[in-house]
Amino acid sequence: MTVVLVADDDADIRDLVAFKLEQAGLDVVAVADGQAALEQARLRHPTLAVLDVSMPGLSGIDVCRMLRADPATAAVLVIMLTARVQEQDVEGGFSAGADDYVTKPFSPRELVSRIQALLSRARA
Amino acid sequence: MPRDRSVGRLLTRAFAALVLLIVCAGLAQMATVLVQHRTVDQLSAHVQPLQLANARLRGVLADAQRGLRGYLITGDGQLLDSYHVARSTYPQAVAELRELCTRRECPAVNTQVTRADAWWELAERQRQAPPRSSQAVTFVSTGKTLFEEFLSANSGLDRSLAHRAESLQQRSFTLGWLTVAAVAVLTAFAAALAAITATRTTRRITGPLGRLVGVLDRMRQGDSAVRADPDDGPAEIRAVAAALNTRADEADRVRAAERDVARLRAEVRDLGIRIRGHLVVEDAVREAVHGLATTLRADHVLVRMAAGQTDVPSLVSLRDEHRDGPLNDLAGCPATWLRTGDVHTTDDPDGDVEPPAAERRAWAAVGGGPVLTVAVSGGGECLGALTLIRDQGPPWTPIEVGLSEAVATDLGRGVHHARLYEQERQLVARLQELDTAKTDFMSTVSHELRTPLTSIAGYLELVLDAEAGDLTDAQRRMLEVIARNTRRLRELIEDMLILSKIESGSFRITTSEIDVAAAVDQALTAIAPAAAKASVRVHTEAYGPLRLQADAEQLDRVLVNLLTNAVKFTPAEGTVTVTARRDGGHVTITVADTGMGIPEAEQQVLFTRFFRASNAIHQAIPGTGLGLAIVRTIVDSHGGTIDVRSTENVGTTVTVRLPG
Repeated sequence: MTVVLVADDDADIRDLVAFKLEQAGLDVVAVADGQAALEQARLRHPTLAVLDVSMPGLSGIDVCRMLRADPATAAVLVIMLTARVQEQDVEGGFSAGADDYVTKPFSPRELVSRIQALLSRARA
Repeated sequence: MPRDRSVGRLLTRAFAALVLLIVCAGLAQMATVLVQHRTVDQLSAHVQPLQLANARLRGVLADAQRGLRGYLITGDGQLLDSYHVARSTYPQAVAELRELCTRRECPAVNTQVTRADAWWELAERQRQAPPRSSQAVTFVSTGKTLFEEFLSANSGLDRSLAHRAESLQQRSFTLGWLTVAAVAVLTAFAAALAAITATRTTRRITGPLGRLVGVLDRMRQGDSAVRADPDDGPAEIRAVAAALNTRADEADRVRAAERDVARLRAEVRDLGIRIRGHLVVEDAVREAVHGLATTLRADHVLVRMAAGQTDVPSLVSLRDEHRDGPLNDLAGCPATWLRTGDVHTTDDPDGDVEPPAAERRAWAAVGGGPVLTVAVSGGGECLGALTLIRDQGPPWTPIEVGLSEAVATDLGRGVHHARLYEQERQLVARLQELDTAKTDFMSTVSHELRTPLTSIAGYLELVLDAEAGDLTDAQRRMLEVIARNTRRLRELIEDMLILSKIESGSFRITTSEIDVAAAVDQALTAIAPAAAKASVRVHTEAYGPLRLQADAEQLDRVLVNLLTNAVKFTPAEGTVTVTARRDGGHVTITVADTGMGIPEAEQQVLFTRFFRASNAIHQAIPGTGLGLAIVRTIVDSHGGTIDVRSTENVGTTVTVRLPG
């Protein structure tokens, strides 16, 4: 089963995303901060990570950059969740190696379809 | 020494000579007449009567001798009668002759009378001799001798007198001719003198006078450099030329002075403009100080501003290095003795204003020359004093005083304006701070609102998707109300975010080549569900490709916004028409609806943030009032224009023109 890492400091959103992804048949590992995300990534080797940009401590962008820097986790697909629409955040996310980004507020359906699109592209 | 060439003197001399000549001619004539008169007088009163008297004496004696001789020859007594008659006439004839004769003729007359008397003595003896006797014959021959002696004397006198008459006549004649000749010569001489004088005068006057007239003409034509030759012509014309040159020089000086004053005025006017142009008080003051020093040739220019009025130093000087030296005293003298409009110069001790003694001492410490002090006023109050000092004369002229006053007025105005500007600038800065805080707040709030909104919308979607179990119809209806209002809240937050970006200046467009027709289709797809729900038909007349450089996302926002508005404000069965076409160097997009329209009075404020049409509010049509403000900002940042035409209850047409 495909393992997906979800990192968001807001428990409601974390649960929402986790619920929706589990419904879609994915194995979800949910964490509340960047440090935990890095640890879980090394432990569980997820295929994809959904990272909130603004988290206390390590931000989503920091986590993305570290994942890419570690050869063990460099291949993880990354979708950033951002509450900001400022160009610099989006650019920062992409330059850190994110594969896609979704701005809050987002539709869970849309998020799932984006994830599935990325996964199918990765498999192909 | 210049030769005296006065025409007046020449004429005086010439006329004096002429008068002398005329007088001489007259005198000669008079003398001649007198001499001739005397000659005639002598002839008629003396010579001719003397000749007559002489002839009569000879006649008397001839009568006596003829009578006596006849008697003696014939013895006829009747003949002796004529002798007696002559004898009795003789003394009278002698007396007559003596009476007429002068000393000159007296010897000849005496000789003649002596000889006549000798004859008369002999004749008396002959008369007593018997006629025709030998004695008588003897007497006759003797008497004849005596008589002839008498005749000889008589003739001598007569000849002498005739000679004198002739000589007198000759002299008179000669004198007459001499006089005629002399008068003729004098007249000719006078005529020649007059002619020469006239010619020389004319020649000496007309030439120089003509040149002088020429100079005057050129002066009249505006040639101010031309001058008359001061050594040309006679003294009188030279005097006129000198006077003319003096006047011309004077006029030149006056003109030069006027030019100087005009230049000064222009400089002061420019200085005033520069002073008023400064927005910082100190810059205006320094401009005045340096400008006045150059324009009015002041050695020291000092501006003292009243305390508490401005943040300028209390004393601004041309030579700030003197601040701790000669300017020290003056810095301590506040110009409070001056009121608005006051002027004081040390050259005019009778002025209305009297500076305090300390002020005068302070001036003396700066410079010894004339001091001019003018009050600097602005906004109806005395702001300070402008002081100009010269180290050495010249005194301040009324013109310079006037110009200084003008500069002081400009300075006062400039300072006043700069103060107002400064106050305004501070106000603007404060307002800008407030505005930035507001924008930051808007941005933060919008961001913070997104996270809870994500949870609400996300869970709502799960529930509506029945992922938490099936819903009853009533539950679904209620949840849809929540979903609709969540969407409204989300739109509001999006609009506020964009607005905060616009206001913070961080709103940027990223252009790429796009097809407007495709963008219209995309927007129609987005609006189609809402239009279908509201039973509004949407037409499109977009014939692509309509390519231009634009920000695809923002253009989509514009189109969706306009279409949303059109659908929202159009009642069921209404129509929304979207056209897009190329119009020269522009692409024109028109969104026309058959909706409720916008009241005419409100169309001016359509693009104002949070504006909502009164009829929309009345009919409780939801909206934020931010859409058109955002649309206009996006269109503006593309260099395009937006125009709204609307008639209430008929419809609204929005036209967007984008360049490219």
